[in-house]
Amino acid sequence: MISTIKKILIILLLGISASLAQSDEVKVRVDGLSCPFCAYGLEKKLNELDGVDSIFIDFEEGLVVMQVTDSENISEEEIRVKIEEAGFTPKEIVFSGKNEKPDKDD
Amino acid sequence: MTRFFFLLLISWLILISCKDSGEESADSVNNKQWKFVREIKIDSISPTGLQTDGEYLWISDAKNNRVIKTDLDGSIIIEYPDIKRPMHLSLYNSKIYVPEYLTDKIKIINDDEIEEYPLEEKPDAPAGVFVNDSLIAVVDFYNHRIILQAKDHITLIGEEGHKKGKLYYPTDVVLVNDKIYVADAYNNRVQVFDYNGNVLKVIGNKEKINVATGIEVTDDNIFVTDFEGNRILIYDLDGKLIHIINEHLNKPTEISVSNSRMYVSNYAGSSVSLFHLK
Repeated sequence: MISTIKKILIILLLGISASLAQSDEVKVRVDGLSCPFCAYGLEKKLNELDGVDSIFIDFEEGLVVMQVTDSENISEEEIRVKIEEAGFTPKEIVFSGKNEKPDKDD
Repeated sequence: MTRFFFLLLISWLILISCKDSGEESADSVNNKQWKFVREIKIDSISPTGLQTDGEYLWISDAKNNRVIKTDLDGSIIIEYPDIKRPMHLSLYNSKIYVPEYLTDKIKIINDDEIEEYPLEEKPDAPAGVFVNDSLIAVVDFYNHRIILQAKDHITLIGEEGHKKGKLYYPTDVVLVNDKIYVADAYNNRVQVFDYNGNVLKVIGNKEKINVATGIEVTDDNIFVTDFEGNRILIYDLDGKLIHIINEHLNKPTEISVSNSRMYVSNYAGSSVSLFHLK
């Protein structure tokens, strides 16, 4: 009985570790985040993308930080479209984490 | 003859001075102006919406996904959490109507209960709402229009554009005397429509408003928040500018007027500014 519980716990821990390992970050920089209707509009549009876990808006830095389940499943183009739908012009989109996208020059 | 010309000159000077004083407000005719009284600080809020009944304040705290009810000193009495980015509020029959920006829903706060208003037409990012006896008006931010919902029909007011009658990212709406007043935020103006969608008046073009986010209409005046310009512009109902307030504000988002008191939510100031008509 005890060994069964141990096995279940190990499986659960491995699952949690795996999901954490796959949590990537995407940083989006735009102009005009000081207006709440625009900033939260951008949050709304980016939330429509699959795999977005959370979004943090740094108003002072003009930066949106997205935690995504797996950045492999989100393309820069998809993000660019959502930013434009929100009424912004994309300035910079940076992927980081496990599935960091290589530079275009690489 | 000299006396005649002298009298003519005096009459002309009197006429000129009367014309100048015509720029002043109806309030100033009564020797009344809006005077700053105090700043009501509320910890860690970023208010996007505000309503008062003269006894309490209801504030949309978009940053913290909640609506709060405070006394007139800013002490929180009740907190309504888990409202996803609440925006411009409407107070009607003791109920607070809240546009929930992230979910495209209108929530109704009725004392301890929160329910959802049944919308027939779904907005994309409702930035404001106004409710009266027979209508609800919803600001449909990303579709650049106002949804006017009656019991048996819907009228869609405006469409994307910059010309007269078009809207560009509207953020607030007020219904008064069968007229629809719209804060046409990124056209930097206010537009007034009838219930059929015909534009009646455009207000604020001369004042170089830099994002007209909030609007309030009373029996005598139209109040507009100039978010980036850090100003409140006050017009008469014909659209004539009568007063500008440009102090004691910090990114103003919404105005609520009750009993000669004007409350202004400061998005960047974590506060509400109070003005009295004196």
